Amino acid sequence: MTRTTIEQEAAQQTLCWQTRRHFLQRCTTGLGGMWLAGQSAHGSKAQRGTHFPPKVKRVIYLHMIGAPSQLELFDYRPELQRFDGKPCPQEYLEGQRFAFIQGTPMMLGPQYEFKQHGQSGAWVSERLPKFAGVVDKVCFIKTMQTDQFNHGPAQLMVHCGQPRVGYPSMGSWVTWGLGTENEDLPGFIVLLSGGRQPRVGNALWSGGFLPSVYQGVQCRSQGDPVLNVSNPAGITRDARRQALDTLKDLNQINHQTFGDPETLTRIAQYEMAFRMQMAVPAAMDISDEPQSIHDEYGAEPGKTSFANNCLLARRLVERGVRFVQLFDWGWDTHGSSKAESLNGGFVDKCRQLDRPATALLNDLERRGLLEDTLVVWSGEFGRTSMAENRGGMATKFIGRDHNPRAFTLWMAGGGIQPGMSYGETDAMGYQPAENPVQLRDFHATVMRLLGIDHERLTVPFQGLNQKLTGVKPARVIDEVLT
Amino acid sequence: MKIQLWKTLWLMGWLMSPSTMAADSDSSEAVSFNQHIRPILNQHCVACHGGVKQAGDLSFVYGQDAAYVVEPGDPESSELIVRVTEQDPELRMPPPEHGSALSDDEVETLQAWIRAGAEWGQHWAFEPPRQQELPVSEDLSWSRQRVDHFVREVLDRQGLHPAEEARPERWLRRASLDLIGLPPSPRERRRFLRELKQDGESAYHSAVDRLLESSAFGERWASVWLDAVRYADSKGLGIDGRRSIWKYRDWVIRALNDDMPYDQFTIKQLAGDLLPNATLSDLVATACHRLTQTCEEGGTDDEQFRVEAVIDRVNTTMQTWQGLTFGCVQCHAHPYDPIRHEEYYQLLAFFNNTADCDLNNEAPLIQVPLDSSREAEAMQLDTQISVLQREQWQSGLSLLTQDDHWSSPIGLQASTNNSTKVVVVDVDEVPEYQTQGTVARGTTVVLEAELPDQWKQLTAIRFTGLPEQEDQARIDSEWGFVISHFKAELLSEDGQATELPVTWVHADEPEPILDPMLSLDPKNSNGFGPFSRMNYPRQAAFMLSEPVSLTPGSRLRVSLAQNVFLQSAFPLVAHRGRLEVSNDRAFTHWLASDERQQRSAEIAALKKQRSDIPSVATPVVKERFAGLARPAFVFDRGNYLNKRDQVAPSTPAFLPALGNETDGVVANEGVERESTVSRLELARWVANTDNPLTARVAVNRVWAQLFGIGLVETQEDFGSSGDPPSHPRLLDDLAYRFGSDMRWSLKTLLRELVLSATYRQSAVITPEKLEQDPRNRFLSRGPRGRLPAETIRDQTLAISGLLNREQFGAPVHPPIPEGVWQPFQGGDKWNTPAPGHPDRYRRTIYTYIKRTIQFPMLASFDAPTREFCSSRRLPSNTPLQALMAMNDALFVEASQALAQRMLDNRKRPRQQLRYGFLVATCRAPEPQELESLLQLYHSVTNEADTSPADANAIDGGEGAGGKGAESGDAASESATEPQEAADAAAQRAGLEAVAGVLLNLDEVLSK
Repeated sequence: MTRTTIEQEAAQQTLCWQTRRHFLQRCTTGLGGMWLAGQSAHGSKAQRGTHFPPKVKRVIYLHMIGAPSQLELFDYRPELQRFDGKPCPQEYLEGQRFAFIQGTPMMLGPQYEFKQHGQSGAWVSERLPKFAGVVDKVCFIKTMQTDQFNHGPAQLMVHCGQPRVGYPSMGSWVTWGLGTENEDLPGFIVLLSGGRQPRVGNALWSGGFLPSVYQGVQCRSQGDPVLNVSNPAGITRDARRQALDTLKDLNQINHQTFGDPETLTRIAQYEMAFRMQMAVPAAMDISDEPQSIHDEYGAEPGKTSFANNCLLARRLVERGVRFVQLFDWGWDTHGSSKAESLNGGFVDKCRQLDRPATALLNDLERRGLLEDTLVVWSGEFGRTSMAENRGGMATKFIGRDHNPRAFTLWMAGGGIQPGMSYGETDAMGYQPAENPVQLRDFHATVMRLLGIDHERLTVPFQGLNQKLTGVKPARVIDEVLT
Repeated sequence: MKIQLWKTLWLMGWLMSPSTMAADSDSSEAVSFNQHIRPILNQHCVACHGGVKQAGDLSFVYGQDAAYVVEPGDPESSELIVRVTEQDPELRMPPPEHGSALSDDEVETLQAWIRAGAEWGQHWAFEPPRQQELPVSEDLSWSRQRVDHFVREVLDRQGLHPAEEARPERWLRRASLDLIGLPPSPRERRRFLRELKQDGESAYHSAVDRLLESSAFGERWASVWLDAVRYADSKGLGIDGRRSIWKYRDWVIRALNDDMPYDQFTIKQLAGDLLPNATLSDLVATACHRLTQTCEEGGTDDEQFRVEAVIDRVNTTMQTWQGLTFGCVQCHAHPYDPIRHEEYYQLLAFFNNTADCDLNNEAPLIQVPLDSSREAEAMQLDTQISVLQREQWQSGLSLLTQDDHWSSPIGLQASTNNSTKVVVVDVDEVPEYQTQGTVARGTTVVLEAELPDQWKQLTAIRFTGLPEQEDQARIDSEWGFVISHFKAELLSEDGQATELPVTWVHADEPEPILDPMLSLDPKNSNGFGPFSRMNYPRQAAFMLSEPVSLTPGSRLRVSLAQNVFLQSAFPLVAHRGRLEVSNDRAFTHWLASDERQQRSAEIAALKKQRSDIPSVATPVVKERFAGLARPAFVFDRGNYLNKRDQVAPSTPAFLPALGNETDGVVANEGVERESTVSRLELARWVANTDNPLTARVAVNRVWAQLFGIGLVETQEDFGSSGDPPSHPRLLDDLAYRFGSDMRWSLKTLLRELVLSATYRQSAVITPEKLEQDPRNRFLSRGPRGRLPAETIRDQTLAISGLLNREQFGAPVHPPIPEGVWQPFQGGDKWNTPAPGHPDRYRRTIYTYIKRTIQFPMLASFDAPTREFCSSRRLPSNTPLQALMAMNDALFVEASQALAQRMLDNRKRPRQQLRYGFLVATCRAPEPQELESLLQLYHSVTNEADTSPADANAIDGGEGAGGKGAESGDAASESATEPQEAADAAAQRAGLEAVAGVLLNLDEVLSK
């Protein structure tokens, strides 16, 4: 057992114990200021430290569930057009496993026009006209790779670094490592749009083997923004306060009897919950934004949409939430139906993406938040340069199969080289020609931006010092950092 | 800052380091390998000289591999000492870039060990537990049970005094929540206190007896077990659709209530299907290992997820029963423990040949009678059917397999109905069709050929489907095929087609997942074939009801419709196929034989009888037909696509050898030893007293439930990277006795523990004890801690009087907040019964468990998602729990019901509050507590009194429903005046506010 292991073991074993100590020091001066018990354990504001000077304080991650086609958005491959309709070269197929492609499929050229934009000359397809205007803020990585070609495992790879459920997600690692900046809001918030949950559900924002307080908290635009945050019908805030006062009295008597510090933590958590009842709905209510902002994002109060979630993401990071994770469903363009085709549903999805994502970058920049916030956009893998032929047959709608060998991810914000493109795919856009980037490299890079050394943020579990980047070597992509 | 923090944590880590934690072993002893040497080696050496890396062929994990660096008795000439004391940084171990030099103390310890003979020790947990001599404690009067002597010994050594005994009613509540997961009712409390007065100490014993006899016992302890075996009512990965496997949950509850000995409990779950004379409930027990996740996502490879399930079975078995983290050995040797990479796959080989293979239909399934009293009857029918089917299969088998029955037709031609291309090729002089390029779904392969000259009749047709690469397929299965419809026609010279009367399909496996006879049903796409995956060529004989006469020049046309399309991606079409024909009358004779016909009739009758027993299809573990066994291989770096050496089933070498069990009869029919090593032998090996881990892990699991922390805190890891036990002698003694004197009885074990002086201590934490024994690892006070999620919910229902004690059955769907239930499949509904419906108030163990949408109440109180084996829950204390307990529909409904209960049972407010407090906490309130509650009550009633509208709003709040209104009427019978009605409403509002507080008390949420 290495020294680090023992330290980490101690860190984990003493989470509660730390809290108690911490609490005992503070409880004479009142119970306020206690956020989620465990978070203060690893480092309250006073104790917190990072391995490197951080470039960003918070992260907004926009995940397009289903995997958008890089070949119709950012990775312009004119050569692919020449091969459109021709059988796929055998070297692309040998030894490869696909989800739906059978035998020898046909190549499929880019379905939309591309142009270069901005000073950086980034290629963007006609499907994202607004976003084309902000490409100079963005760094594209075009050679992202994963080793999973089915959605569930691949989504887990993106967020937890493992294709299996049961591991902590990036947001959990980050809040565990850094704590939170707003004691009235959860540090890791998840927002969903597109009408469906990701298929592995909350495993994507799981705390895994970290204490459960670090799991993502799903906030909703309809109903209670956080489960049970509203009082039951007929219970006023004053009535709740009264009841809580009584509860506190009795719990304090209980503490006098048993002397259990956990009782004091519980009192503090009820107070925290009481404050959350105000803070969460206030943060989640976008109706107090000016019309111009609604227009810019395309947001409509009371609806559940990607646009609303982008605006919410800005409001949440503004309030110090550490990690905001957006999932937008509906990008799985196999060509198996109109909704799932490049010439059908994809057009709508691009429209839903274009305006809010652009507004988010502009708005963050105007407020000075972009300089210490990281915005990430990606799917869970890319799509093939070949048309899908599900069941060995050509399909009516146009679509592409899953391609784990190459996909595009973009980042913007503090510490990121703006107006840059990193990595080149081959002429067909099928796999990297140079500079492949593994998901674990991307994870290491995000951690570095937050000031964390991914090798050192570990927790012992099942006999291994677990970390987000896993056991294979991961490298920080210094080339994309300022 | 950071360094400061680490330093603090380091210090605390040190305080809990092995030497201080092994509190009851004698510290004055000579150097012990396990206690002193192994920690040094693990800390400084095994990263490079361990299980994964063995630099210079030196490993400190396997003792014999380190012999050459140690000269027993002579530290100075031992390379180990030379290198760690080397001054030259180039030569020193560990090298400076890998870590700091050993401290002088550590070097001296190593020297002392070598001087004393350098005895290598097995890790403590791998030595068999031994009965310990009772320690002599100064204060003998304190101990009540055997365990107490060991606990007291440690307390004495630590200079700690046990706490005084908890008040009887507090003990009663603690024991009741621990044993049955429900609080004592006021009546049970009164009875206990009365007996205590009359009979003294024996009141404790009879209370424990009552609790252990309660049917609620199994419901409480099942949840502990279900965490370990990852029970859920959904399939997991991909779509996470519903899985009907609750009969297994009921089996666990019954087994616990019956106090089934833990060895039997183990054997049935791991290998109930292989037991001689297995009962139906033995088969249900095997569903334990069908709780693995399956993947229904389109485009996913069933073989990948079958392998993942098998791997999960290995890992879960080793963690649940053996307390070993085995996951790492999938890819490489264990870094700390002497478990080699191949040994993982030898274990995997025990599980690799089960019939399940990640199919969406969850096959193999058994029909479990809904009424469990009909299980014996059902099993008898199943056995009869199975025996007859086997006989039937066996009697016709030689017709299928003997090649002299069969001839190749002449001039085979092949075509298809769609874009799939086929050609005819001779392989080893046998003609066959082969597909070329992309195979489309819905392919019908049409084969035409001439029949041999001079044949007068045709009696049967044999089809053989082959893997594309026969040799490789044995190792890496290929996608299989299904003959959805088999049609044979005779074409006369003038092109006239006559369909042949095929009436029987005889396949090469006795109990296939899909009924081969379905190949004859054009409306059903199932039929003969290997189904999803194939390792071997597969064949079936299609027999004609009677010989068909042939005319010269007539040709045979066989159409093989292969329409199964798996996971929206994989057409199950045979890529190679051969056709043979027979004119042998043996087929006709066999078909027409009385014996066969009688058997068929008998089978049909029995099946009819069986289908009349209402049953639920339940996935079980079943061994695949031996003739089609999958060989097991070592996976290179854990990747199932890179297979290395073939392995046979075996257990790890560092544990007792397999097959030495004395209590089990190993079926031996004169076959070679290897072939008789099955899951059953593995199960018996696990459940044997010789196994050093099984009993230790089991008693530790129970200990942790009662005392909050296990004697080994890392319940999931008894290996050398886990924590050493806090009380090694106690653990050994208890483990030894559990397997012997206690006869593996969980109830006997629990009885001793809850009656112990250790458990009966008061939970009061003095400031001194907080300092000296902050986490109560020395057991200097009684256990206290937040209740498990299930107990919190069940207790809430019990206190409020809503609890429905009905047992068993399909999962229920109590209320969940709106918007939570958004399953991937739209048709998967969460139908909550209306307020008042009994299924709303069942015990939590019966709540539907979906892996990807956790029941919010369970999620917020730290229940695991049941994706994988979970050996312990890490308790948290969060504001989300506060929101849940204040505002969730359950708690709101429960506070209304508790208010009603107070109203129904007492007249005056003060008495009502006293009563409510007593129901919630099992004790009468102190005056100060009662005053505080009264204050709340009065301020709410006064407020409500002045604004009756508000009070009505509360009363009419969601959830109270018909029940509240009904009894409300009764309570306010005389309230004819509006003012009186308003008073009643105000009173109720006050009681509801108080009830809400009571249900949220720290004391109530804790034990």
